[in-house]
Amino acid sequence: MPLKTPSLKTLKTALLTALCAGLLAPSALFAQTELVIWHAYRGAEKDAFEKVVAEFNTVMKAKKVTAKTLAVPYDAYADKISAAVPRGKGPDVFIYAQDRLGGWVEAGKTVEPIDFFLDDATEKRFIPSTMDALTYQGTLYGLPVNFKVVTMIYNKKLVQKPPTTSGELVATAKKLTDAAAGRFGLAYAYTDFYYHAALMNAFGGGVFDASRQPVMNQSANVKSFELLLKWLDQDKILPAEPSVALITNLFNEGRAGIVFSGPWFLGEIKDSIDYGLAPMPKLDEAGGAPLKPWVTVEGAFIAEPSQHKDEAWEFISFLTGDRGARIMAVEGRQTVANKKIYDDPAVQKDPILQAFRKQVESAVPMPNYAEMTMMWSPATTAMNTVVKGTASPKAALDRAEEEVAERIKNLRK
Amino acid sequence: MSQHILASDGPPAPAPTAPSGFRQLLLGLLVGVGVGVVLIGWLGSAGRGATVRGAERQSGIVHLSALVDLVHEAQAAGEEVGPRVAAYVAASDEVKSARVVDLKARQLVADAGADATTEPLPMRLQRQDPNHKAWYDLGQGLRAAVEANTEEGRLWKEEIDVEPAAGDGMVLAAPLTMDGEVGGVVIVEVAVPAPALSSPWPMALAFLGGALVLFALVGWPLRGRRRVLQWLALAVAVAALAGFTVTMLGLLGADRATAEEAVAAQVAHAQQIFSRGAPELPPADAARWDVDRFRQPRGMIQAGHVDAKHLAEALAPVKARFTKVFGALGLLALLLGAFFGLGGAQRLGHTLVRYREAYLFVLPAMLGMLFLVFFPFLYGITLSFTSQTIYNLDEPIYDIWVGIDNYVDILSDFDLVTRSEGESTWNYQNFYWTLGFTIIWTVTNVTIGVSVGLFLALILNTKGLAFRPLYRVLLILPWAVPNYITALIWKGMFHQQFGVINQVIQIFGGSPVAWFDSPLTSFATVLATNGWLSFPFMMVVSLGALQSIPSDLYEAARVDGASRWQQFRLVTLPSLKPALVPAVILSVVWTFNMFNIIYLVSEGQPGGATEILITDAYKIAFEQYRYGYAAAYATVIFVILLIYGTWQNRVTRASEGV
Repeated sequence: MPLKTPSLKTLKTALLTALCAGLLAPSALFAQTELVIWHAYRGAEKDAFEKVVAEFNTVMKAKKVTAKTLAVPYDAYADKISAAVPRGKGPDVFIYAQDRLGGWVEAGKTVEPIDFFLDDATEKRFIPSTMDALTYQGTLYGLPVNFKVVTMIYNKKLVQKPPTTSGELVATAKKLTDAAAGRFGLAYAYTDFYYHAALMNAFGGGVFDASRQPVMNQSANVKSFELLLKWLDQDKILPAEPSVALITNLFNEGRAGIVFSGPWFLGEIKDSIDYGLAPMPKLDEAGGAPLKPWVTVEGAFIAEPSQHKDEAWEFISFLTGDRGARIMAVEGRQTVANKKIYDDPAVQKDPILQAFRKQVESAVPMPNYAEMTMMWSPATTAMNTVVKGTASPKAALDRAEEEVAERIKNLRK
Repeated sequence: MSQHILASDGPPAPAPTAPSGFRQLLLGLLVGVGVGVVLIGWLGSAGRGATVRGAERQSGIVHLSALVDLVHEAQAAGEEVGPRVAAYVAASDEVKSARVVDLKARQLVADAGADATTEPLPMRLQRQDPNHKAWYDLGQGLRAAVEANTEEGRLWKEEIDVEPAAGDGMVLAAPLTMDGEVGGVVIVEVAVPAPALSSPWPMALAFLGGALVLFALVGWPLRGRRRVLQWLALAVAVAALAGFTVTMLGLLGADRATAEEAVAAQVAHAQQIFSRGAPELPPADAARWDVDRFRQPRGMIQAGHVDAKHLAEALAPVKARFTKVFGALGLLALLLGAFFGLGGAQRLGHTLVRYREAYLFVLPAMLGMLFLVFFPFLYGITLSFTSQTIYNLDEPIYDIWVGIDNYVDILSDFDLVTRSEGESTWNYQNFYWTLGFTIIWTVTNVTIGVSVGLFLALILNTKGLAFRPLYRVLLILPWAVPNYITALIWKGMFHQQFGVINQVIQIFGGSPVAWFDSPLTSFATVLATNGWLSFPFMMVVSLGALQSIPSDLYEAARVDGASRWQQFRLVTLPSLKPALVPAVILSVVWTFNMFNIIYLVSEGQPGGATEILITDAYKIAFEQYRYGYAAAYATVIFVILLIYGTWQNRVTRASEGV
């Protein structure tokens, strides 16, 4: 027994030393802060994003902060965020569109409010409507990276001068339309409520009022449906059952003069088609108010459980700042939310980015309430019944209002 | 079912040496009552702990509200807020620290307590200080909550935030109104010493021991009469569990009364501090600090004392809930006791030991099934009894428990026809419409799949058919293409203006059909698509079975003078049955839940008429965010398929017997 005591003691000492070393070593090793960033970019956007991250890492080298990116496949992205982030298994920063924001805030433990970090200089950097899109109940939750908005895209061969009013639009479109031959003056996914919102907003309509109550059947919305019916039934300038694939086909075959669509459409256009972009026309029917599409904004959000919020703020500030945004615009071809970039010579020469920049001036942020998802299906049903003539606009919208109200009541009870 | 399999497996096990019924029942009683009192005692203790924490929280809210009043008063009088808050904290043992943040100016206005800043106040919030961000965000969160409640005219977001503190105690925060809107926040950390609770375990042990002794004494003379003994054991167990439940409920009630008295004492204490150096504040005014988390008066403390009527009112729902939960736990314990008392556990243990190798081999599969199948399945079923939505995701399940409300909602809606403007139309959103459509959809699809598949198989089975492998590959092709691609192609073919089907109709002089405008034509599109997808499977199954029919059967039939039709009906069909029946069962289940085709081709048009149950469930969960309701919907689908499966199994087995 006496022999064993010292050996036990040495063992204890050895264990203690090992323990201490084990405790100290990680802190020495990991003084380096690592930020994990999730995104769903591919192709040129991804390359540009990686470049911004690399520049951020060089800038932050002195502070020992490195950012690491993870590209998440888009179709599972939102669910992955909803599932992983609240449980602390997610990234420090993620990039996503604003439409899920309300749901994430209501569900909790997902997005970090960032008003505290925001200073005037940062706030003034952005196009105001893009900031609104990332604000929920008066609190800002992310910095806008880029925006996507529907604008007018026209075939230069068919349309010499893009129309600026709805009267001109109908006149031009009528000339180009020959339904029997499958040619149409105007083509857009008008039964998709997202596209229809441009008409609705022009009349001053909307789906929720200031106190978040649904107002689907307000008179402005009815008027917008009536205008659509006029284009469809009287002017006959639109194709039937307008799916995105159909519109792409029509435009690529030179059988559609004008299309309302967003940046995603440009990649689908064939090289042989010479196209131009112009702001959507003003509506004579709405007293000269321009068509105001919904703008969706991709934001950089800080995850609530993140341990490195200050560094995460540095990153999103850098990404949306002049250096980051310039790369995203010039190399990633993104319509960035940073205003200053559009004065940059490289971007000034880019007619596409400039056209979207012009369009966003007359655009409305898409509501980011959690209740928004409840609106799509009743709204689509209303659109379909109206377009098919089985119900009047007012009756269809009354029915949609009823259904949205019912769904919201069920959700909130 | 499993017993049936086990029984038919291997040689019959010798009957275990049966202990006398008396000893077995005594064991059952021990297990049943033992588990029951442990569960009830444990949950009851948790409930008592919650009561204590509730009192601590309420005391915190009282001090918090007093401080909010203090700040308002100081601001109204144009005094500095800092010293007054510091004086309050110094005078109270319960309030450990307090701070006031001005949200608009982003300033720390007051900071008192052990870890208070030494900087001069008011100071601007510092970006580097993580506490400052937390306080600021807390204030902004409360501002948003107050605004949401005002805007919507209903109380649905809590206006007082409560979180556990780093040590013991808790951190509470309330909004501060400035110029008519929320412009600041008051944050306090409180720690109220918890009163010692009497332990329930001696009581639990007494009930368990009493039950065992009682059963032993009364049961021993009756030990020959098995049936009587069983009833006796049940009665004793129920009595013991009921007795313990009543005891626990009594403890809960007493704890709550003590807790509320403690809150009343804190109200008096706060009133004393508040009045220091100012005119005495009457107790009736101090009672306004006793508010709930929506800042609404609770009315529990009136003129310095606990109001008995309010206490009884507050206790009633708590007691009702605990009675229900205790009852459920007791029932669970009784079942477990019966399992032991009636010898089930012994038999199970015996089989486990006897066939241990077999169980060892299936163990990995069983564990896999447990985690991958049964756990999610049971979780889904549990969810179906709650009202979980996106708004209450982080609330514990027992707080959003609604019992069978979801099922009642789904199954009791007979609103099949809606009347508007004098004409009545089908209500396509109704559950029974969707159910009916799903059944029609399944039956027609399987019929088409089987008949087309069988027909093609018969043709392919022709002796000496040239290029047979080529045909076979071509006919299996629809199956090989991913079904969503097929679905999208068919969707395109049904387009009103440009779809190939309408083009063909126009070539023959017809007018184009708007396929998705009426339920019937819309149904035709999904039927065509799914028919195209489902016949190859049936064809492959039938072809395999056809080739295995011995040719001498046909020879014998021909010798007997059977016609070709008779050969088909009396030889081919019966020989195909063993292969076709499982295929039909499978394909019924697949088709019943064929999400892709409906979701992509008809999209439920027009107006949800061609929705099937599974697409409806999807939309409830992911468009309406009603997870509990969607889980109930999914469970209903499961039950329907379970009933079908059982019925089909029985019919098949019955016909096999003939």
